[in-house]
Amino acid sequence: MAESRELRRLGWTMGALGAALAPHLLHLQPWITGLVLAIGAWRLLAEVRGWRLPGTWARALIALAVTLGVIVSYATITGLDGGTALLALMSALKLLETRAPRDHVVLIFIGWFLCLAAFLYSQDILTVGWVLPTVWLLAAALLPVARQGEAGPPLAPFRTTGAMLLKAAPVALILFLFFPRLAGSFWGAPSAERALTGLTEEMSPGDISDLTLNDVVAFRVRFDGRPPPPPLRYWRGPVLSEFDGYTWSRGGSPLFRPPVRFRGEPIDYTVTLEPTGQHMLFALDMVQSWTPGFANQDWDYGLRTRSAVHAVIQYEARSYPRYDAGVELSPALRDRNLQLPQGRNARALALARRMRAASADDAAYVRAVLAMFREQEFYYTLTPPGLARDSVDDFLFNTRQGFCGHYASAFTTLMRAAGIPARVVGGYQGGDWNPIGGYLIVRQSHAHAWSEIWQPGAGWTRVDPTAAVAPERIERGIEAALPGEELLPGALMRESAFWWQAGMLWDNVNARWNDWVVQFDRLKQESLLADLGFGGTDWQDYAVALGGGLAAAMALLFAWLAWESRPRSPDPAAASYRRFANRLARRGVTRETGEAPTRFAARVARLRPDLGPAAAEITELYLRQRYLPAPAPGDLRRLRRLVARFQP
Amino acid sequence: MPAFLQRRVRAWIRRRQGPDAGPVTLRRGRIYILPTGLGIAFGVMLFAMLMGSLNYANNLGLGLTFLLASLGVVAMQACHRNLETLIAREAGSEPPFAGGDAVFQLALSNPGGLPRRDLEASAGAGAAPPVSVEAAGESTVRLRVPTRQRGWVALDRVEIATRFPYGLFRAWAVLHPGLRCLVYPKPAADAPAPPQAPGDAGGGAVRRGEDDFAGLKDYHPGDPPRHIAWKAYARAGELLVKEFSGAAEPLPVFDLADAPGADLESRLSVLARWVVDAHARGETFGLRLPGVELPPQPGDAQRRRCLAALATFELPATAHG
Repeated sequence: MAESRELRRLGWTMGALGAALAPHLLHLQPWITGLVLAIGAWRLLAEVRGWRLPGTWARALIALAVTLGVIVSYATITGLDGGTALLALMSALKLLETRAPRDHVVLIFIGWFLCLAAFLYSQDILTVGWVLPTVWLLAAALLPVARQGEAGPPLAPFRTTGAMLLKAAPVALILFLFFPRLAGSFWGAPSAERALTGLTEEMSPGDISDLTLNDVVAFRVRFDGRPPPPPLRYWRGPVLSEFDGYTWSRGGSPLFRPPVRFRGEPIDYTVTLEPTGQHMLFALDMVQSWTPGFANQDWDYGLRTRSAVHAVIQYEARSYPRYDAGVELSPALRDRNLQLPQGRNARALALARRMRAASADDAAYVRAVLAMFREQEFYYTLTPPGLARDSVDDFLFNTRQGFCGHYASAFTTLMRAAGIPARVVGGYQGGDWNPIGGYLIVRQSHAHAWSEIWQPGAGWTRVDPTAAVAPERIERGIEAALPGEELLPGALMRESAFWWQAGMLWDNVNARWNDWVVQFDRLKQESLLADLGFGGTDWQDYAVALGGGLAAAMALLFAWLAWESRPRSPDPAAASYRRFANRLARRGVTRETGEAPTRFAARVARLRPDLGPAAAEITELYLRQRYLPAPAPGDLRRLRRLVARFQP
Repeated sequence: MPAFLQRRVRAWIRRRQGPDAGPVTLRRGRIYILPTGLGIAFGVMLFAMLMGSLNYANNLGLGLTFLLASLGVVAMQACHRNLETLIAREAGSEPPFAGGDAVFQLALSNPGGLPRRDLEASAGAGAAPPVSVEAAGESTVRLRVPTRQRGWVALDRVEIATRFPYGLFRAWAVLHPGLRCLVYPKPAADAPAPPQAPGDAGGGAVRRGEDDFAGLKDYHPGDPPRHIAWKAYARAGELLVKEFSGAAEPLPVFDLADAPGADLESRLSVLARWVVDAHARGETFGLRLPGVELPPQPGDAQRRRCLAALATFELPATAHG
């Protein structure tokens, strides 16, 4: 008996723990996943077959071994990855000594920590959809461990805990809304080295076309006014000034940032950025101001955060589509943006000198280069062939098939070779308008690269050579620019109106989720407090809102509990029968004291033949409910229904 | 809880609640609740989760922490409610022989609409196994109190506790019912046989023979059933008992003076042995102690009377407990 009880506990605990581990199995190293699963299976078998569990020394040895393994694999045990790996392994090892209720409790606590860790990895809706039932399961697993009396039906812990979580929800909501958020952090932010897809601060040929196959959202933008037209949707990311003949990178030490003169009307917007693992932020060209303290602007006008972006973040920005940036060019900046690797791409350099000589001025030269891309046999394609070490030469004279990165790289090289300061700008171009939510979705597939050249009097000016080859890319998006046989993932979805709608709806749900749950920060909390009529937003307002809210939620909880445990009629069947007799009494057929139900039913049938069958059935059900040792489960419900419908 | 603190707390509870009489409803004012070790560990875990979530500015982590904290609050309420409005009343006791366990029965009835789970009643060292009380139902717990000597054993403190549902909290209520239960002297293991045919059967106690039918008399409880005149009952509807006359034989009256033993307690034990054995054989017997005279009668009631007289005879001052 005791053994089956322990097996049952073990089943609950292991099931719940498995659910808590599941979101981590994908990012844990395979040996850890394998070991955890193997130990779990072994422990279950040991319980069923009655095997002995390993002794203290064996466990200590295994613990030491796996800790070393984690250190070797992750180089640390304090980071998010290493810590999660260690937590997963320790839960498996704890399983090997699980006997007493205390051991189960430790496992369940580890399970809750694993749930928290899952949120540190991802805060999207699907993660919550998995973690919330897991939390439920873990709490339910605590019940068979803590219970001392009879075990009850197998699923009772799940039901009991579900009811309790439901009651806990309002209190939790109040805490979530009014618990003051911190501005900073106590200790260092996590240093998770996660492989995230997205733009990096380097660009080699082919990098961006790989990204284009990725439909994942990079960021979402909500504009205060009307969104800018597609040709103005250039989202500046990393600015790449250093070229080694094959790869462009940021390079260089910080320089003085030349001032920008803004002209025309500003565009105000809020960006919700998905985790990038990088330092750069994205803003519409040219950004003038942004959420204070959020980022610094580099000498190349790129926005950079102090710590890498590992969670969804949100920032506001104001940009001016018309601007004069860096009209004065310092010699250091000029040198950096004319730099070309020694002895590389010789044919391209020769071509540049030839074409510059044939052009009247710099502007004519730029036009000539763009005309070359447009008029000669250059192809815009997602699947360009690989390029040799001298990538620009190989592209210009050999393959002539390329994606935006190829054109930007070649164009910038040709500019620099002709003495025009130029650089490659990475970022995103365009975006899908979500008409349901009224915001712009910028996906990884919108990744783009263009050039920026410096012209006397105008400063840094954007030139997009891709626009010369495939103007549709800028006007109507990437799909329009691609040859017919090349399809992007999700193309079918965009073809079907229904799926397109559904996709936009789902994206809108995600956007709201990010806005109101993941990004519910100090600022939104303060605006909520203001909406509730709190004047200031100092700690007293928080205390009053939190205290008042909690008091209200607790009052609700108390009322709920009191209602739930109110005394109920010990015999619902008798109550139903009484109701039936009362209804008859109102019609003049009164049951005598002590009159047996069957006799009464017979009398009813005699006095009111129309009511006879109903009265007989009710009486029969009542008697069965009353006197059968185990009445049929549906009888009581049928009795109630019949009485409710009985209208003499 | 350290022992001295526990003593202080118990004394405080006794002072503020006073003695209880009759059925006791466990109202809010007499239910105490504290987190258990597990509950404290749970709190520490929540604090760690809160710090982590705040540090990483992770809203869902905060949400998880708050949900679990609220679950703890609801669990506390559920634990408290598991006792609230429960009605405890005394449901009889069974007198033991000294050295055995006195069993006090406590009926717990649940007027509410929700079942009460895992109720543990304890008194001193004795704890009853956990019971549940269904909605509008009643359960009985049997509290065993060990005894050492004859006399009275008291049940002056009962604790009804629960850790339901998650074991994070322990709610308890204390009753001071002031119940007493008699403890019979332990029957001596190697007592001599009671003296046969005492020289003078005092008090005119005569064992009625069973040889000749002498007449009918009214039935009294305790009369042997085989003497009932069933034919007369069938005729008249009245219970009558046949009386026989025979060789008048004196009926045994166990006298303290006859019981051997070194001291009073061992002599009382010998008497207890004689009473128990005579009752087991279905005999009629009486008891004589200085100042106590129980004329011979058969049956359970006589056994109880006699053992009670032995239990309370010249009780030493320390017999309580």
